[in-house]
Amino acid sequence: MTIRVPVLQQGKVLIVSVQDALSDSDLLNVQQDLLDKVFSVNATGVVIDVSALDVLDSFGTRTLSDIAAAIQLRGAKTVIVGIQADVAMSMVLLGLSLPRVATALDLEAGMALLGQRHVA
Amino acid sequence: MNELLSGSHRAHRSSATSNATHDALAWFDLGQVDRDQAARLGPISDQVADQIIEEFYAHILRFDHAAQKFSSKDQIDQVKAGQKKYFTDLISAELDDAYVADRRRIGGIHEVAGITPTLYIGSYAYYLHRLGTLIGDMMAEDPATAFRLFLSLAKIAHFDMALALESYVETREATIERQQRQMSELPTPVLKLKPGLLLIPVVGMLDRSRARSLTVSLLEGIRQFHARAVVLDITGVADVDSSVANHLIQSMQAARLMGARSILTGVSSDVAQSLVKIGVTGADLNTAGDLESGIIAAEAILVR
Repeated sequence: MTIRVPVLQQGKVLIVSVQDALSDSDLLNVQQDLLDKVFSVNATGVVIDVSALDVLDSFGTRTLSDIAAAIQLRGAKTVIVGIQADVAMSMVLLGLSLPRVATALDLEAGMALLGQRHVA
Repeated sequence: MNELLSGSHRAHRSSATSNATHDALAWFDLGQVDRDQAARLGPISDQVADQIIEEFYAHILRFDHAAQKFSSKDQIDQVKAGQKKYFTDLISAELDDAYVADRRRIGGIHEVAGITPTLYIGSYAYYLHRLGTLIGDMMAEDPATAFRLFLSLAKIAHFDMALALESYVETREATIERQQRQMSELPTPVLKLKPGLLLIPVVGMLDRSRARSLTVSLLEGIRQFHARAVVLDITGVADVDSSVANHLIQSMQAARLMGARSILTGVSSDVAQSLVKIGVTGADLNTAGDLESGIIAAEAILVR
């Protein structure tokens, strides 16, 4: 079965909270829904919260990178927030370091990052 | 064992000999015959022991490095008494577990007191030489017997030296191991310099396990203090090999995934050269020169 992930809107910022381990196809749905929404509301920033995930594999990491790159093309910023310490460590051991994506500790820090960038 | 040590002392033998002691004695081909022959030197040894010890101290106190081991006359007297007992045991003590334990204890004491194998064996050689000379004089009418008895004594003396040196080395190894463990167990503190900015001073040897615990405390610190910038200072790290450099890079990448930028400071010229040799560049490690410029760079990250 497919899991729909809600995309919340806060002003010009969209927030996606990935709440459980998604299948690869679910993740592609998230990518599609999110990009549609970014274009439709003309968002300036996107926060993707992955704090509930116990694992981020290479497919998930690449999809996150792709989402961020696509949003970048629209002139908006993406911040990945809430990567847990052990998730971060195992990602690094797999060679996944999300080099071109902004990261923040939690939703609050992510929003602050977007807010400041927006003002600047 | 009983066959080896069976002999005139059987009646007194209540003391224990373990398998290890038995094997060591067998290796030296040391048996009750030798013990009994050496014991026949007892009267001569008792007669000349004090003289030899006096000569011995007159001899060694001429050397500065040996004289330095003694702080007072009392101490010298104490050591002389210990030495006399040592030589008495050498002549006549039962070669059992208690004897082995005593000789091994002496090796440990030597390690702690800084009495090197050269000092120890040199002293032993001096004693054996003096005693041998005196035995030769006193038993001039039967040199063949004197020589045989002395050979038995020399065998026991070598057994002694082997025991003492074994435990000397063991004690030394234990000391080195303890120091290494202390070094590798040095905790790596995570210090909060100001809101959002952490400082991690790394001191001592960075081995694999320590690098791992560094990563754990770094990531925990980021979560706990909501850090957005981390300064890792490795001024106190003498050597960085490829696996440690890799660990540092991975820690910094993991920190970034949690939203904190890290800056490496305090790379010494030696460390810099070895890093370049293994192909790690400043771009991988995000370095700043010293701690001060690292903190300035970190503050720039905070306002960004």
